[in-house]
Amino acid sequence: MALSTIVSQRKQIKRKAPRGFLKRVFKRKKPQLRLEKSGDLLVHLNCLLFVHRLAEESRTNACASKCRVINKEHVLAAAKKSRG
Amino acid sequence: MADHNPDSDSTPRTLLRRVLDTADPRTPRRPRSARAGARRALLETASPRKLSGQTRTIARGRSHGARSVGRSAHIQASGHLEEQTPRTLLKNILLTAPESSILMPESVVKPVPAPQAVQPSRQESSCGSLELQLPELEPPTTLAPGLLAPGRRKQRLRLSVFQQGVDQGLSLSQEPQGNADASSLTRSLNLTFATPLQPQSVQRPGLARRPPARRAVDVGAFLRDLRDTSLAPPNIVLEDTQPFSQPMVGSPNVYHSLPCTPHTGAEDAEQAAGRKTQSSGPGLQKNSPGKPAQFLAGEAEEVNAFALGFLSTSSGVSGEDEVEPLHDGVEEAEKKMEEEGVSVSEMEATGAQGPSRVEEAEGHTEVTEAEGSQGTAEADGPGASSGDEDASGRAASPESASSTPESLQARRHHQFLEPAPAPGAAVLSSEPAEPLLVRHPPRPRTTGPRPRQDPHKAGLSHYVKLFSFYAKMPMERKALEMVEKCLDKYFQHLCDGLEVFAAHAGRKTVKPEDLELLMRRQGLVTDQVSLHVLVERHLPLEYRQLLIPCAYSGNSVFPAQ
Repeated sequence: MALSTIVSQRKQIKRKAPRGFLKRVFKRKKPQLRLEKSGDLLVHLNCLLFVHRLAEESRTNACASKCRVINKEHVLAAAKKSRG
Repeated sequence: MADHNPDSDSTPRTLLRRVLDTADPRTPRRPRSARAGARRALLETASPRKLSGQTRTIARGRSHGARSVGRSAHIQASGHLEEQTPRTLLKNILLTAPESSILMPESVVKPVPAPQAVQPSRQESSCGSLELQLPELEPPTTLAPGLLAPGRRKQRLRLSVFQQGVDQGLSLSQEPQGNADASSLTRSLNLTFATPLQPQSVQRPGLARRPPARRAVDVGAFLRDLRDTSLAPPNIVLEDTQPFSQPMVGSPNVYHSLPCTPHTGAEDAEQAAGRKTQSSGPGLQKNSPGKPAQFLAGEAEEVNAFALGFLSTSSGVSGEDEVEPLHDGVEEAEKKMEEEGVSVSEMEATGAQGPSRVEEAEGHTEVTEAEGSQGTAEADGPGASSGDEDASGRAASPESASSTPESLQARRHHQFLEPAPAPGAAVLSSEPAEPLLVRHPPRPRTTGPRPRQDPHKAGLSHYVKLFSFYAKMPMERKALEMVEKCLDKYFQHLCDGLEVFAAHAGRKTVKPEDLELLMRRQGLVTDQVSLHVLVERHLPLEYRQLLIPCAYSGNSVFPAQ
C-alpha cells in the first residue's frame, strides 16, 4: 500500500510500569531465576531508556531520509545500530 | 496617631472632665499611653466615647482611622481603663448589674466605631434603652458581665447565649424588638441577650434553623393521595401504568418495578391491590390471602425501613421471600415488589427520588414488555425466583437487566439495585443466574479463547506506545510491528544478561546490582550519571520512592538496605 496506515501520535502516555507483565516475561524466559522486589522497576527503567534511544535513533534516521513518517527501515537501522 | 500623644489628649480628657467632673486625672493612663501612643490615644478617645456622645464626636474626628485598627485591642484595654469614668457614670445611671451595663455600652460603641453618622442622641437613647432593657436582660447579661468588652468575646457570648436562648428565643425576641427603637445595635443586643434566635439568624443565616416543612407536607400529601385513590376504582389505576395492567407480564417486571415505582404511591397501592385480586384470580389464592396481610404488615415495616435505607427493607423483604417457597413466587414477587414499590414510592415522596423512579418505571415498563414478548412463562419463572431473591439478590436483576437489549433500563437497574445489598445474594444469585441464562440463550459471547500471545502483546504495546510518544513523529504500522520485534529481542537479551550476572555473583536471584551492572554495560550508567539519577529522571515518584533508599523519621530508611 502506498499509503500505509499511519498511527497517530499519542499525546498522553501512562507512566505506570507493567510490573505484572515484566515479571511474567522474566518467569517465562528464565524460570530458574528469581527477580527481586524492585528489580522489575529497574527492568522497566531499562526498557524505557532503550525505547527512548531507539525512538530517537529512528527519528534521526527518518529525518535524515527526509521522510515525514517513520518507516520500518528507519527502525531497523536504529536497532541494528544500537545492538548490532 | 502621633497627634494623640499624652499631651494632646488634653482635649478629650478635658472635655471628659468638664462633662463628668468625676474622673480622676488619667495619670495612670498617661504612662500607659506613653508606651503605645496611638493605642492609648485610641483608648482615651474610646473612653470619652463611652461616656457621652459629645466626646465621642470629638474622638471620632480624631482617631477615626486608628480606632478601626485597634478596635478590639483597645476596647479590651479601655474596658479596664474606663472603669473609672463610664462605669461610675453608668452605675449612677443604671444601678443594675454593673458589668452588664458596661457591656451594653461597649457593644453599642464597638459597632459604631468610625461612622460619623452616629448621633449623640442615639447614644443617649441607647442608654435609655439600655436602662429599659437591662432589667429584662439581667439574667442573660449575668453571663456577659465578666467579659468586659472584647468584641470577639461578646460575639461568642452571643452565640452561646443564642444557643441557650434558642427555645426562649422567638417569643422573647418579639418583645425586645419593640423596645429597641434606639438603634439596631441595641436592638440586636437586646435580642442577643434575650432571644438571640431571630436576629442571629438574620445576622448569621448559617445558624438559622430551616424547618423541614417540605418533607412532612409531601408525606402527608402522598398518604392522603394514597387513601383517596385507594377508594377509586381499580380500572383507572390499572390503566395508568401498563405493566401493572398485565398480571402475567408484570411478574418478571416485579423486580423491575421495585425500583421503578409508578408515578404515585396511590397507583402502586392500587396496583398492588389489583394485583392481589388478579393473582388470586388465576389461582394462587392460597398465597394471596396470606400475602396481603403479610405485605400490608410488611409495608409499614418497609416504609420505615426505606426511610432508613433500602438495605433494611430488602433484608426484611428477602427474609420474607426466603421463607416462602419459590414456586409460589410469581404473585408473591409481584406483591412484594408492589409493596416495596409502594413503600418505595412513599419513601420517594420523602426522599425526592420520584423522578428517577418514574424514569426507571418507564424504562422498566419497556423492559417488561420486551421480556413479556419473549415468553411469559419463562419470564415468570425466572422472574418469580429472581423477584423473590431480588429483594435480597440484586445481582440477579442487574444481570437480567443488562441482558436485555435496552441498555438504559439495564443501567437504571444497576444504579438502583447496586445500593441495595444482597444479604442472600450469594445463595440466591445462583438460582436466578441459571434461569437468566436460560432466558437469554442468545447472549452474545464476545470473548473467545484468548490467544497466548495476547497478554504478551498487550504488555509490549505499552512500550510501543511509549516508542511512538518518544519519536514525536507519525509512524507506520509496520514500523510499530518492527518495534515490537525489537522489544522482544531486547527482552531476551536482557534476561540472558541478568542471568549471567547473577550466576557470576553466585546468586539465583536477580538483584538490583545486576541491573545496574547491565545498565553500566549499556552505557547508560556512567561515573557521571548514576543509577539513581536515571531513576529520578525517568521514573515517577512512586517508583522512585521504592528504588532509592531514603531516610524517614524514626531513624528508619526505606527501602531497607
